[in-house]
Amino acid sequence: MPDVFISEKKKPNVQNRMPKVTHHKHVPNKAELAAYGYTKNPVAAFRYYPDHVNFVGADSEEKIVLLLRRHAITNVPWIFLTIILFSSPIVALIFGFFDAVPIDFLTVGFIFWYLVSFAFTFEKFLGWYFNVYIITDERVFDVDFINLVYREITDANIDQIQDVTVRVGSVIRTVFDYGDVLIQTAAEIPQIEFDAVPHPDKIAQVLRELRVEEEVEKIEGRVR
Amino acid sequence: MPPELIGLSFELGPLLKIPALLGAAFYIIFAFVIVKQVNKMTDTLEIGLEGLLRAIAIIHLLFSIGALLAVLVIL
Repeated sequence: MPDVFISEKKKPNVQNRMPKVTHHKHVPNKAELAAYGYTKNPVAAFRYYPDHVNFVGADSEEKIVLLLRRHAITNVPWIFLTIILFSSPIVALIFGFFDAVPIDFLTVGFIFWYLVSFAFTFEKFLGWYFNVYIITDERVFDVDFINLVYREITDANIDQIQDVTVRVGSVIRTVFDYGDVLIQTAAEIPQIEFDAVPHPDKIAQVLRELRVEEEVEKIEGRVR
Repeated sequence: MPPELIGLSFELGPLLKIPALLGAAFYIIFAFVIVKQVNKMTDTLEIGLEGLLRAIAIIHLLFSIGALLAVLVIL
C-alpha cells in the first residue's frame, strides 16, 4: 500500500526540553552611571563600567564593572621628588656649584641626570597606572606588577566572597574619600586587599550588589 | 681637561670616559628592559594609552643610545 503521508522524522531535541538559560546581565542606565561617576578618562582611579578594557584571563562574556587604582593623591610624594630632581641641576647651575666643572663633563652629567630622573618618573607612573583592581560581574582581580620582571594576578569568584570590610583612617583619607577595601574569600587566597582606592563605600556597595545578583542567579539556575 | 687645573700630570678626560661609556652601556640595557616591561604590562592589561606608553619607552631607549654617542663624542 503506498504511503499517504510521510511525516518528517524529527530527532528529539534535548535542548528544546531544557529550560532556557539566559544570563541576565545588569546593564546600568544613565542615572546609575552618573551616580557611580562613569568616566572615559584612562588615568582615572575609579572607572565604573569602563570602555575598551581587556585583560589576560578575561572571559568573553565577563563584563568589567569597576576598574580601580590607588587614589591619585598617593602619587604626590614621587611627583614632588620628580620636581626636585628636574629642578636641582638648574638651581645648582644658577648658584654656581658647577663653575669648576668643565663644560663637557657638565653636559654629559646633565644628560644622564635627566635620563635617570625621567626613568624614575616613568617607572613610578607605570607602577601606579598598571597596578589595578578589577571587579567583573563574576570575579575580583588584583593585578600587581611587583618590579620590572615580576607580575602577580590574584582572582576570586564573587560567590566566594564571605566578607567585605571598608577601612578609612586618617584625616587625608577622609578628606579625599579613599581607603582600603578588604575582601575575605573562601578561595585559596583568603583575602584580597584594595589599597588606598577612591570611594571605598561605593566599591563595597557594588560588591554587595554583585553578590546578591550571584545569589539570585544560583536560585534561578542561571549559573555559568 | 687641562691637567694643570687640578694639579695632575695627566689628562682626566680619557680616564673618566671609560666608566662613563660603561655606565651608558648599562643604562641602554636598563632602557631596553623598560621597553620589555611596558610591552608585558600592555599585553596583560588593555586599559588605554598603550600606544603612547610604548612610544615613550622606545623614545627613552633611543635617547639612552644618544647619550652613549654623546659620551663618545663629547668626552
